[in-house]
Amino acid sequence: MREAIAAIFIIFGLIVFLISIFGIFRFKYVLNRMHAAALGDTLGLGLIVVGLMIYSLNFFVVAKLLLIILFFWLSAPIATHSIAKVEVLTNKNYEERVREK
Amino acid sequence: MDEKKSFLKHLEAWVDGEEVILDADKYISTRTKKEKRSWRHHFTIQYVKENKKLYGILSIGISVLFIAIMLSVVNSLPEYGNAHNPANNEVMERYLESGIEETGAINFVAGMILDYRAFDTFGESNVLFLAVMCVVLLLKKDKNNYSEQEEQEIQEDDYFDTNEKHPILQIGAKLITPLVILYGIYVILNGHLSPGGGFSGGTIIGAGLILYASAYGQKKMQSFFTFRTFTKICVSGLLTYCACKSYSFFTGANHVGYEIPKGIAGNILSSGFILPLNICVGLIVACTMYGFYALFTKGDI
Repeated sequence: MREAIAAIFIIFGLIVFLISIFGIFRFKYVLNRMHAAALGDTLGLGLIVVGLMIYSLNFFVVAKLLLIILFFWLSAPIATHSIAKVEVLTNKNYEERVREK
Repeated sequence: MDEKKSFLKHLEAWVDGEEVILDADKYISTRTKKEKRSWRHHFTIQYVKENKKLYGILSIGISVLFIAIMLSVVNSLPEYGNAHNPANNEVMERYLESGIEETGAINFVAGMILDYRAFDTFGESNVLFLAVMCVVLLLKKDKNNYSEQEEQEIQEDDYFDTNEKHPILQIGAKLITPLVILYGIYVILNGHLSPGGGFSGGTIIGAGLILYASAYGQKKMQSFFTFRTFTKICVSGLLTYCACKSYSFFTGANHVGYEIPKGIAGNILSSGFILPLNICVGLIVACTMYGFYALFTKGDI
């Protein structure tokens, strides 16, 4: 039973990752693409790690997996923010591109 | 020079100095350009867009060919876990049976790369050091390869680094960097007990330094990590490694005469020279990683 629940979580995470990969290839503008990539980094990774937690249910394993989630949810938004800032600061006609696509 | 000579005759004349072009600048500015004939000319994006069908067939064919080659190779590999595989020979048995006794390291990989094959690892560290020295030769800025435009760009970067209105990256770096560096130190110090070691731990520390430098800028980094400290750490690490490992050469390559105390396998202070060697390798790798980043972005460490 526990393994089945864990499998459901992991499969949902993989589906989210698949959607985010489709999004990265479908969108053409940097900021849109970043939105798609962040989906996999936050929700997909979170679902997979929660599935692994349910699968193992050992205190130390759960603590280490929590650290992984914490690290990713702390670092991914910062990286995304930096990329978006560089895009806005350096791309001079970005308003046109936003309107077009 | 208009008549066609053979390549050897050209070479002979060039070596003798007969084919010197007087007023080379004038010649270069007046000569007609050669027509570039390359495969790019035929296969432009326009051409691909016009022949989508051919492109699709070709790409599928090439993919299928590669998949077939890979699958055939996999098919002819020996079975996994078979006792008669060529990888299961007396070397592996020796490592697994008497590895802990001879090296004192629980992590067999650390025992292998830092005891049995320590000179190989020494060469790898030297390769890293040489690579970063070549990058220093090519990219370090000095009076000869430095223009005002670059200086202005660097000043603009410094301005953005110091006058940040929304310091999200800096706050994040402040939180994450100590944890990353601490984890790298743990990986290095536990190299002989758990998976990890000098190379992986050094890379983690280098990543922490890169994060700090990219958040706080070059100037803040140079308050504690200059080019002098970089060379000092690298050279002292390499020399310590060399001195530690030369003892086995000077004692007959067999550890005869003076045996390093191995300690109890599993303690943090055990396994002879593996711990200090791990620390040396980790320092060199960390400095190299950060050195590459700093030289490629700012041209100075």
